[in-house]
Amino acid sequence: MSAELATGVKQTVRDFILRSVAIKKLDDDDDLFASGIVNSLFAVQLMTFVEKTFAIEVDVDDLEIANFRSLNATTAFVLRKNGRLNG
Amino acid sequence: MGELATAWLDEANEASFNAFVAANVAPFAEDWDRQQRIPESALALIAGAGYLGCSVPREYGGQGWDTVSFGLLNEALGRGSCALADVLTVQAMVSMTLLKWGTREQKQKWLPPLASGKTIAAFAMTEPGAGSDLRSLSTTLAREGEHYVLNGAKRWISCGQFAGVFLVFAMHGQHSVACLVPRESAGLRIEPIDDLLGFRAAGLAELRFDAVAVPAANIVGKPGFALSHIAPVGLHFGRISTACSALGLLRGCFEESIARAATRRIGERTAGQIGMVRSMIARMGADLEAARLLCHDACRAEDEHLPAAYEKTLIAKYFTSRAATRAASDAVQICGASGCHASSAVSRYYRDAKILEIIEGTTQIHEDVLGKMFVDKAGRIAHER
Repeated sequence: MSAELATGVKQTVRDFILRSVAIKKLDDDDDLFASGIVNSLFAVQLMTFVEKTFAIEVDVDDLEIANFRSLNATTAFVLRKNGRLNG
Repeated sequence: MGELATAWLDEANEASFNAFVAANVAPFAEDWDRQQRIPESALALIAGAGYLGCSVPREYGGQGWDTVSFGLLNEALGRGSCALADVLTVQAMVSMTLLKWGTREQKQKWLPPLASGKTIAAFAMTEPGAGSDLRSLSTTLAREGEHYVLNGAKRWISCGQFAGVFLVFAMHGQHSVACLVPRESAGLRIEPIDDLLGFRAAGLAELRFDAVAVPAANIVGKPGFALSHIAPVGLHFGRISTACSALGLLRGCFEESIARAATRRIGERTAGQIGMVRSMIARMGADLEAARLLCHDACRAEDEHLPAAYEKTLIAKYFTSRAATRAASDAVQICGASGCHASSAVSRYYRDAKILEIIEGTTQIHEDVLGKMFVDKAGRIAHER
């Protein structure tokens, strides 16, 4: 269940990023910030997408690069935040 | 105007806001502009109406309005006085930033006085050497024992002359950081900036921070996220507000122009019977219709919490502020010499419109961001083929 959820979340986030920025592919552990994929406009758009799509709220306690550094990190954050990591 | 331009969804609110502005704002706007100040009584009126906390949830003493209503209010205020609308702009920028990124304690402490208007806020980001390039901030926040120490300067800060609290952006080593600084803080010096081209009553100021102590409890968000996540939320609401204020100014230009065109006689004809005047009014009216649709679309996207709200807002602000500048120039032309006098609203619109193209991101910054966005989209479409 957890693996399926993680795959679904990851693909949904990957699709959004690939729809939004000018890159052809995105690997699971590519650094979104260091690579320049995420600028300040896209950082808040990605956050809003994650909030809207997965019905979570990103708040001040979640402001950690480790939560958004890569696709894998964002997926883990989403699952942890909505309590389905071990679902 | 409702019969010509697409009506927003909430006609009752629109009528109420326009009535408020007609009674309490428009008749005094030229005087405020000449005096270069908004009287406390006017600030008390918009605070008493709940306007300064209109977007803040009710649990913090606000009105809990949606963004469409916020946009309508900004349009009405922009029709009356962009300087007064600017107070609403920066109040929303700080309030909505705190609502998103404040701790529970910060929200409980700061949002109620901001929502009631007891405290006016200012968004202190621009520096003498850092306007459009926010990465080159030179104001510093350094840790010293139990608290932080702020040093540096901010310039062109709207409402700085009368704000009670400042949301200040600075660098903490290599990391950007945001913090709240009350007006009474020791080491904070506030110098009014007078004699601006437009927004002359908006109380702009220069702020100087000389070893200002900032408690850790006043840090908003976390160091490292001020420019990537904290500021964009405030700037986003600032752009929504500014776009809708520009819409109001544009509407003002249109209404003043058609009234003048109908009554100003040139020989045997009225100005409105002259083709070249009609051309100016046609451009203005079409821009007004388009601007209303763009502003409404951006506000609705924000209400639906769509990621696209950010780019829709950029487009709305870019289009509407430029359309306002064009309309103000044509409105002065249509009004003739009387449009050049300080007693004329279009004279003020002409000066204020240019400011709308500069605040919350210049026209050129918008073109850079939007141009890249459109080119990237074209590239993806080509790649998918």
